[in-house]
Amino acid sequence: MNKQLAMIIDSSACIDCKACTLACKVENNVPEGKWRNWVKRSEPDFNKPDWMVHSASFHFQPGGCMHCEVPTCVQACPTGATYKDEKDGAVKIDPKLCIGCGSCIPACPYGARYRHPTRNIVDKCDYCEKRRARGELPACVVTCPTKARVFGDINDPKSDAALLLKKNQSVRVINKESDTKPNMYYLSATAPLNWPVKARMPDPIQLWKMAGPLIWGIVGLNAIGVLIMLGKQILMNDKAPETDESHEETRQS
Amino acid sequence: MHWFNAGCWIFLFLTGLGLIQNDDLQPFTSWPTILRIVFGGGANLLLAHEIVGIIWAGGFLLYGIIRLKSDVLPFFREIFNVDIHRDFLWLIAKGIQMTLGYQALGIIAKKFGFSPVIPDQGFYNIGQKIFAIPAVFGGIVIVASGITMILSQIGMASTELVQWAILIHFITVGLVFAGLLIHVFMASIAAGEQPAFISMFTGSVPEDYARHHHKLWLDEVKKS
Amino acid sequence: MTSPIETPLSRRSFLKWSGAATAAAAVGGKAPVLYALTPDETKKSFAKPDSRYSVCGMCLNACGLVARVENGVITKLDPNQKFLKSRGMLCARGNAGIQQLYDPDRLKYPLLRKGERGEGKWERISWDQALDLAAAKMTEIAEKYTRCGVMFTPGSDSQSLFVHWFAEVFGSYNVSTHESSCLLSRNRAYLDTFGEVPFADVLHTKYIIVAGANPFEALITPDSIDLMTAKKNGCKIVVLDPRFTKTAGLAHEWHPIRPGTDMAFFLALSHVITSEKLYNETYAQEKLSGIEQLTEHVLQYSPEWAEKECEIPAADIRRIARELAAAAPTAIVYPGRRTSDYVNSTQIRRSMAIVNALLGNWDSPGGLLAARQVGLSGPELPEAPFYDDNPEHRLDKGMAKMMFEEEGAFKHMRDAIIAQKPYPVKGWFVYRYNPLQSAANRQKTIEMMKQLDFIVTVDIAMSDTAWMSDLVLPAPSVLERQDPASGLQGSAACACVVARDPVVPALFESRPVFEILKGLAGRMKLAEYFDFTMEEYRKQQFKLLPDADRAIREDGVYYNPSKLYGIYEGKIYKTLSKKIELYNERYAQMGVDPIPVYQSPKPNPINQFRLVVGRNAYFTHCTTQNNALLNELMPDNSLWIHPVAAKKLDIKDGERVEVTSNAGKGELSVSLNNGIREDTVYMASGFGVLSKGLTRVYGKGACIAELIEDYADDISGNMAMHETFIRVAKKGAV
Repeated sequence: MNKQLAMIIDSSACIDCKACTLACKVENNVPEGKWRNWVKRSEPDFNKPDWMVHSASFHFQPGGCMHCEVPTCVQACPTGATYKDEKDGAVKIDPKLCIGCGSCIPACPYGARYRHPTRNIVDKCDYCEKRRARGELPACVVTCPTKARVFGDINDPKSDAALLLKKNQSVRVINKESDTKPNMYYLSATAPLNWPVKARMPDPIQLWKMAGPLIWGIVGLNAIGVLIMLGKQILMNDKAPETDESHEETRQS
Repeated sequence: MHWFNAGCWIFLFLTGLGLIQNDDLQPFTSWPTILRIVFGGGANLLLAHEIVGIIWAGGFLLYGIIRLKSDVLPFFREIFNVDIHRDFLWLIAKGIQMTLGYQALGIIAKKFGFSPVIPDQGFYNIGQKIFAIPAVFGGIVIVASGITMILSQIGMASTELVQWAILIHFITVGLVFAGLLIHVFMASIAAGEQPAFISMFTGSVPEDYARHHHKLWLDEVKKS
Repeated sequence: MTSPIETPLSRRSFLKWSGAATAAAAVGGKAPVLYALTPDETKKSFAKPDSRYSVCGMCLNACGLVARVENGVITKLDPNQKFLKSRGMLCARGNAGIQQLYDPDRLKYPLLRKGERGEGKWERISWDQALDLAAAKMTEIAEKYTRCGVMFTPGSDSQSLFVHWFAEVFGSYNVSTHESSCLLSRNRAYLDTFGEVPFADVLHTKYIIVAGANPFEALITPDSIDLMTAKKNGCKIVVLDPRFTKTAGLAHEWHPIRPGTDMAFFLALSHVITSEKLYNETYAQEKLSGIEQLTEHVLQYSPEWAEKECEIPAADIRRIARELAAAAPTAIVYPGRRTSDYVNSTQIRRSMAIVNALLGNWDSPGGLLAARQVGLSGPELPEAPFYDDNPEHRLDKGMAKMMFEEEGAFKHMRDAIIAQKPYPVKGWFVYRYNPLQSAANRQKTIEMMKQLDFIVTVDIAMSDTAWMSDLVLPAPSVLERQDPASGLQGSAACACVVARDPVVPALFESRPVFEILKGLAGRMKLAEYFDFTMEEYRKQQFKLLPDADRAIREDGVYYNPSKLYGIYEGKIYKTLSKKIELYNERYAQMGVDPIPVYQSPKPNPINQFRLVVGRNAYFTHCTTQNNALLNELMPDNSLWIHPVAAKKLDIKDGERVEVTSNAGKGELSVSLNNGIREDTVYMASGFGVLSKGLTRVYGKGACIAELIEDYADDISGNMAMHETFIRVAKKGAV
């Protein structure tokens, strides 16, 4: 069975120390101002007069690219430079095929992608592919003080990740209008929940999706025209009127 | 030059089509897959497309500089040389003749009150001009949008610009390709086109052919 | 030069640009050269493996790590998963250690001041010149003002013990450390209650009160991690803090206690526990001294009384006392670490230690633990010389009632140097210590420096203190060093030994302080006292631990499987009464309250706020703000202020304000925060720097040292950093 790599996160164990974001940054040479992963923060509702009484009310939510089942980023990419790998379920970017058009960036409800300022391609979490090739776990997983992130193949029933999913309730963070079926599960509960945005294709790409059929239609019309002319040429014995000095009137096909 | 153009264009069209691998945008889903196998990956396909694209554009740039006075300017003069009344009539008449035949042309001409005689044309007929103009300017747009995409890879174009470039590139290629279908048919397969096709290699046509198809040009040549 | 904005942080490009190897080679081969650029070096022992053990040096936790080296460049620091004390983790600062190593701003060569102190004009000199100069100056001062005329301040570092040793053989008693801006009062209080300073068994406890500490932010291993595990295992966490910190936000209860009134709360807890007999009476008879005096003393400190002081409802105080006692002995009042807050900080911690004692949690699971045996031996060093012209005592002796002789107190030292009484001090050797950022009242530190003829600072970055020095010597990061072995107390996790070996050769001309001191000793007729190598020193340390060397080589750490609980079984306590002292006889003899007597903190002057300070998960005190990776997480500091308080001053979120105190002033932006009392403000440390050598952080934020007035704890001399009130005004307003 093919793998589905995923992250199972116990966000209630997160203390927002940002170790995971820095480990990722160093491991993957993420440029200044850009991040491949994040920790979202949920605060008490300070407007409630008794907000102090109900403590335990910070909640930190580590996250990153969710390597979704229905990746809208892949839907936005014209060339398939970003694609979901059948073999391991990760959503990948071919750095040599990507031209950095950035169509995939607003298409991600989680803002997981960014345009690399010097490599000029789009970059995002790749579950630390090079580390995995060496038999190591992703940097963010390994560095975490409270081991809030668990990584593994959820299609392998014996993996830690799969077992955690089986034994616990979990939730996923989605935008209701763009449920991309993320492969990042939060154990029991998490906050904040309403932060992913609706997946959006950039205007030119949306126009392309509309114009595409139109253009093919025009091509088709012209093709039909050609076929008509060809058909007429084959089937019809078309003689020009005598005033014309014809020299190739009849051409047998 | 024409064949350099044709060869590059076909290659670029086929590889460009193969680069589009997206469920919503690609009607021929197996084509990108086939090409990627042939080229050994999407990245190689892109590289091939870009290299030939640059060669194509570069070739034309050189040609435009070296043969400016001798070939390019006369070409432009000719394709913009339009006699609205005569050429419009040619379009209608020829169009009907190519699809429905001379007999039908006669009937329709009589019915709508225009001459069934197909008007004379110059070096290029108006059909060729109607393709040439978009082909040339479309080509420029295709090159410009293509270069924008290449520039993106060296950080010299913004994502917004590139996204528009992609759209324009696709639309322009699509429209010119639509015209190309007609051009290929008219120039090679259509009845009576053999001498013209051969002339693309030899550089000359029989006088007979010229009299029938490009009489105005023949008259000019005979004058000088 | 590659701009930090455009280029992704690339160690390789930094090295190419900096010409590290060529520069070092140009100096003449003495300085080590990056081995990747000199093929011969690849034959050395560390060329082959691409992973090397070391121990993080970004803070005192010293988490074991594995450095990944590719082509002579460290590309990643990963946690050593065999390291129990850190529970196999490496925090943001640990990961950023790589940036400290390859920081373009790091000190590279010995620098001699040209122009005035603080002007930032430097001349690069050779090591020989630098050491000659330092030795000459120190000798000069020694001859004119005695050996005690030079003050030494070694920071928290594995090689600091050599600075201590140098001071000893040089002959100066005037050694002061970071501890007197930090945990002296805690240590004093617990020493005077239990006879030793304990470690909290956070992992196994079932009820914990955290007052004035912030373990989920101010990471301390294994406590910060174990606290989360304990919470998941059902431990209840109660936090007292004027701020809604991360610890408060992840706890079960948070009480925004009025700052400075913690003693009221804990005396009230003692009141409830003793008056309701919620303690184990047998235990009290056997192990506690002074239960009757205590019971009597705290009768006046009822929860109802305490409510008026600390602004926590009496019902809650009573309930918490009962819950705490019910969970005993697996219940803790967390001792914390930094306790440099109030002028009675020692007595505050005494009141907390007393509650711990009543819980009977000493030396048992889920309670307070005695130090575990680590097993390192002291090295055999020759006896230090005696200088008979030396004064009798250290400079600040007697300036606090019960000062730690070997620590002194920086605040008092500083006052004495400014006054040049009881005797003059004219020289200062600084190692990895930055009082211009960390010590209250920066202007006073500057004033102290005016009295000094010669200041030499050894550091890796151009800290504010280095910036104001006469001679600056570049030290390498821990990743470039070979260190003596250090013993670490990991409470319930372990007792272990770590020792560093270089992962990469020292960059530029940086030299570890051990080498620097050797060089100085050689020039000051003290060579015999530094006549050993690091290997020899370590060998002596490992005398009783034959397996330590191998373990450190193979696992990166040596564990001593020493006793964890019951260390005190059948033993007496190291106190006068030989028991745990609720009532401290020695205090009584010295005229200090034997059981804490409550004093109400000063009320806020009108329209002024009490300034409190604290820690941050991304920075180590005031020393890593310029690290590019960490700076990105927090490029500036801001003043936390409650929205209601801000509104009264017509200040909106993000606006610039001017802050002033009796010590100094600053300017920064505000951060409106509901999670702080209306009478209190907070700002992070390490900003508002003087040093232009810290290019990223220069010009950002305001400095706490500039604002905080220099009060000190009565008993220990520990700095008291929460006694300052500041005025906050919109920028431009009168």
